[in-house]
Amino acid sequence: MPASSFTALAIAAAFFALNAGAAAAADQARGAELAAMCASCHRLDGRDQGIPSIIGMDKQTFIHAMNAFKSGARSNSMMHAVALQLSDAEIATLAAYLGARTKEGKR
Amino acid sequence: MTWTRRKFGRVAGAGLAALAAGPARGAGRPRVVVIGGGIAGATVAKYLATSSAKPEVTLVEPKQRYTTCFFSNFYLAGTRSLESLTHGYEKLTSNYGIQVIHDTATSIDPVAKTVVLASGGKLSYDRAVVGPGIAFKYGTIAGYDEAATQVIPHAWNAGPQTQLLRKQLESMDDGGLFVIVAPPDPFRCPPGPYERASLVAYYFKQFKPRSKILILDAKDTFFEQDLFEDGWNRHYPGMIEWLPAQFTGGVKSVDVKTRAIKTGGDTFNANVANIIPAQIAGELAQRAGLADQTGWCPIDPMTFESKLHPAIHVIGDATNAGDMPKSAFVANSQAKACAFAIASALSGSEETMPHLFNTCFTFLAPNDAVTDAINMTPSGGSIKITDIFFSQVGESDEIRRQTSRQGEGWYAAFTHDIFG
Repeated sequence: MPASSFTALAIAAAFFALNAGAAAAADQARGAELAAMCASCHRLDGRDQGIPSIIGMDKQTFIHAMNAFKSGARSNSMMHAVALQLSDAEIATLAAYLGARTKEGKR
Repeated sequence: MTWTRRKFGRVAGAGLAALAAGPARGAGRPRVVVIGGGIAGATVAKYLATSSAKPEVTLVEPKQRYTTCFFSNFYLAGTRSLESLTHGYEKLTSNYGIQVIHDTATSIDPVAKTVVLASGGKLSYDRAVVGPGIAFKYGTIAGYDEAATQVIPHAWNAGPQTQLLRKQLESMDDGGLFVIVAPPDPFRCPPGPYERASLVAYYFKQFKPRSKILILDAKDTFFEQDLFEDGWNRHYPGMIEWLPAQFTGGVKSVDVKTRAIKTGGDTFNANVANIIPAQIAGELAQRAGLADQTGWCPIDPMTFESKLHPAIHVIGDATNAGDMPKSAFVANSQAKACAFAIASALSGSEETMPHLFNTCFTFLAPNDAVTDAINMTPSGGSIKITDIFFSQVGESDEIRRQTSRQGEGWYAAFTHDIFG
């Protein structure tokens, strides 16, 4: 491989990594903003008392649950209202953000 | 003294900030001063401190500890201590680096962007956030002024007033009459006066079963009325009577010595009375020119920036925020939207549409709770309700028990979100 195309590849890879890094940081920030709404009722450090913990969940499980609250298939007026406020993209962002949180948790 | 050094640093910094085009960056982080350590103020301080803009956050609050008004009806019922409802600010400092100054803000200079403290100190800011809470409009009921609250408490700010009311309820004889005077709209905590009647009835039922509760209302209807009336019939039949303004002509005057409460028609002689007066935005809002002729603070529905003074944001009960009720939950929701809007402005990042939400856990009895769930969104220069759901009359005992357990869990999580 000529040195010049290797350099070009390396630069392209670096750009890609940079963009991916920036996108991940933006998702993380948006996830934190959306999760702030959850934190009014759900503790985000893994503790629960009367209201279930929502961190460390499998993404698909979280998305299914939110869609069930949105449609009314799962009945809970508070979660129905919250789910109605969130777009599919926002629910996916939340699923990733909350799913990545652990009990030790301040990421 | 560290504090004094910091104070001088800030005053010197104010000159530099005034010269700079934007927020003071490079030389230092942007500065946000939050005034008022209630639900709105403590929440906004925490969410600003953890935001991507990483501002230097100072919280000004005279009290060392904050007692929540929500759940204080359980203290009146004798089932919760006031201590369990009281929270300190230590974690805001140790976990989030917020500087907490226990002092009173006496004035705000919106041009110089400084806050003057009662001790004589001055704080400069790039943005200020004010959570002034409520003040009472004394004089709407003749004979009920600030001095009268030492005999007939309002108990609408938790603390000594709540203790005074509890003491009076404890020393009342069985068969006595407890009168609650409920305020006109808008007021802090729409279900509050009626939840108070419910939980005091719960106490009476056990210890003073011949006693009665009379609610003299300034309104003709009230929040979640069907749920309350159903609960009162089931739990406390014949104990609670509610009289609307159209029936009594409204409360006109009170004789503090005899606890005689005179309405447009009849006079009622209370053994214990609780007068919850009409309300306006808290004192600092009035002094700093943040309230308009309505007595409340007009705000931008996206950012909660004052419509009267730029770079000062107002959140919580003091705001006129369209359809948003005056609840602790709303104060917390507004505070987060405000923190994110300020963080966007300070860091130049894109502003997002705020998610505004309210729920109130309201107790008809310790094992019988109901909720509301309200979505709100900025619309046409104000904030409008987009969805609203309530608990229903006739729900099973099991659902109500579950809701009350959730309510207890909510208190723990919510106060952790604010002070933890």
